[in-house]
Amino acid sequence: MKLAWRELTRRPSRFVTAGAALTLIVLLLLALGGILDALVQSSTGLLKAQTAPLIVYSADSKGSIDRSRVTAEDRAAVEAVPGVHDASGLGLALLAGYLPGHTEPSNVAVFGYEAANLRVPAPPQPGEGYADRSLETDGLAIGETVELGTARIPVKVVGWVQDTNYNLQSGLWVDAATWRRALNANIPDAAVAPGTFQAILVTPEESTTPAQLETAIDAAVPAVNALTIPQAIAGIPGVAEQDSVFTSIIGVTFAVAGIVVALFFALLTIERVGLLGVLKAIGASSRTLAAGLTLQAILIAGGAIVLGSLLAVALAQVIPDAVPLTLTVGRFVFTAVGLIVAALIGSAISFRRIIRIDPASAVGGA
Amino acid sequence: MFRILGKKGRPAARMTGKEKDVRLALAEIRRAKLRFGLLTGAVALLVFLILFQQSLAGSLLGQFTGGLEHQSATVLVYAADARRTVDGSRVTPAQVAQVAAVPGVAASGPIGEGSFTARLGDGQLSDTSVIGYELGGPGFPTTLSSGRLPASDGEAVASAADASQGYDIGQTVTVVPGDTPVTIVGLADNIQFNVQPTLFVSFATFEGLVRATNPDARAVLPNLVGVEPAAGVEPVALASTITAQVAGVEALDRDTAVASLPGVSSIEQSFNIILGLAFVVVILLTGFFFLIITVQKTPSLTLLRAVGASGGFLLRNLIVQVLLVIGGALVIAVPLTIAAVSGSSSAAFQATVDPAVIVTTSIAIVLLAVVASIGAMRRVAKIDPAAATARLTGGGLA
Repeated sequence: MKLAWRELTRRPSRFVTAGAALTLIVLLLLALGGILDALVQSSTGLLKAQTAPLIVYSADSKGSIDRSRVTAEDRAAVEAVPGVHDASGLGLALLAGYLPGHTEPSNVAVFGYEAANLRVPAPPQPGEGYADRSLETDGLAIGETVELGTARIPVKVVGWVQDTNYNLQSGLWVDAATWRRALNANIPDAAVAPGTFQAILVTPEESTTPAQLETAIDAAVPAVNALTIPQAIAGIPGVAEQDSVFTSIIGVTFAVAGIVVALFFALLTIERVGLLGVLKAIGASSRTLAAGLTLQAILIAGGAIVLGSLLAVALAQVIPDAVPLTLTVGRFVFTAVGLIVAALIGSAISFRRIIRIDPASAVGGA
Repeated sequence: MFRILGKKGRPAARMTGKEKDVRLALAEIRRAKLRFGLLTGAVALLVFLILFQQSLAGSLLGQFTGGLEHQSATVLVYAADARRTVDGSRVTPAQVAQVAAVPGVAASGPIGEGSFTARLGDGQLSDTSVIGYELGGPGFPTTLSSGRLPASDGEAVASAADASQGYDIGQTVTVVPGDTPVTIVGLADNIQFNVQPTLFVSFATFEGLVRATNPDARAVLPNLVGVEPAAGVEPVALASTITAQVAGVEALDRDTAVASLPGVSSIEQSFNIILGLAFVVVILLTGFFFLIITVQKTPSLTLLRAVGASGGFLLRNLIVQVLLVIGGALVIAVPLTIAAVSGSSSAAFQATVDPAVIVTTSIAIVLLAVVASIGAMRRVAKIDPAAATARLTGGGLA
């Protein structure tokens, strides 16, 4: 082990090739994962923020909140289903948001809601809103007023919330009346009647499971379709497809990392056959030599993880705003563990060659 | 050297120079199968990654934008605060009339777009984009492949890619809620919008669908105004004129409108970054691999030079090996891409492989790999035959 460490510290240039390739692969993996996480988060953040385990859409909407309309009558019917503890409305309007001092509007997703959730406190006063932190980077400050759409409906920002964007648009959480006013004034064809929401969030009684209540609501109110939050997330158009595509690409990239390590150590082992033969001749076991090689693989992968992560963080700073990229601790950990595993598997390919080295070759091999 | 070359084939003395180059390169690859196999495998996977991503990105973008790209209006007028999103744009009747009066406008008309739920013939519900235009006016699909354009309300041209999903000519889809029937009378290529089956209908049909699905709708405003310029008027210039003369709108030529659609630049730039990184890894991997094995072979190459092999001969050998590795990688990667793209296609997302993309990417990778090997080539070119006499090992004479 000491020998492997000394070789690394005294001849670092020998390991630059593999290190550079792996560093770029780490960067590639983090970029891929970061884009996937950002895309998924932008599509699912609204649903993941909810405390209620069930969401109810109109039956014809096919799980699309944009197309869903749940009338006051349907909501009352849902609330009357045995097992319903609480129901609250949720609405959405995608609008231009004019920030003070800006001529170009920001993209804003206005959410009308009736109850607090995991990421947003209880609804503010009419005409006020909680803005997603992403609007802060656009130049918005607490106390300032955002004007929504052509009708310029004013909303005064009274607090920040995090990770609540929708469809890559910055979240702005307002009470139901303000949402309805902004929607009806700016998008007349999408207008909603008083009492109508696009979805109803439902919390069951303690004695009722979400699955039981889902079935009961669907049976009792044919005009609506109840889904658990995971079902609703899985049903968002495109989420499953983009997850599967990116996961496949990430899997192939890990395979490339393993092959790069295998290739590099195969070359290195070939180069050192004579020296390894001498080491065996003076008593080093195949296990010791393989352990040294494994240590080197882990250290190179570790260095690549550190450098690749720093590059990814730097990339996130300079990347255009149009590119969605979210780097999470979980993604760093997943990439690091995956790369170490790939490096271990890749380095193991050279074990056979090490085992086959004949100590006797040290005598006449040079 | 020449005895080895001729070992399993014709005597080397009867070979041409090019044959000898190939035989030496092949002989080395045969004797180092693991090294070259691993390199070929790694490059193949990286090339697969590049081709796979290009295919998916191309298909995805085409299905995002096709409905706008392949309609007839070459200038599209948005509401000024729409941020160039079709969904977010609503133009007023007054603005539609003002656009029609701008000098240089030959024809104009309202265009509506929306996402609806359609019940297909088998009872299944399907997400469907609907684009409404004034029959006979700008906005009709330009890639009609069979059937005809709508001649009356309630008729539609559907995206040809979705014909087998229940959108074929003669079939009727029912938009819900409201149960409004729409009959397919024609099919057009590459007209999907927002990665959904897409119907082109009359504006009146579109208006009826909006009212039927949302009885609370107060008015149905067009999302855009479609414009056809007069003869000799450039769409870009006309778009500028309309933006300047009509208050509260932003006019764009069709290409700009397509490029400005939300998500298009995000997807393009995201994939470009990933593709760029993948290209760099391919170049780095290939370049460093051949540099390392050249360094490892330096004693043998020095000896070859000393016994009469020219520098050009050794360089050709190296290039042949680079081409064989990259060629082998392409042979593996291309079928893998076709299989993977085919496997990732579904009714919801139909991915296709563009042969032109495969050809151009393959050529680029071959050229870049050769460029990446310049480091190894320089080292070969610098080999001094006289150094062979000073070597203690590796065939040295001293």
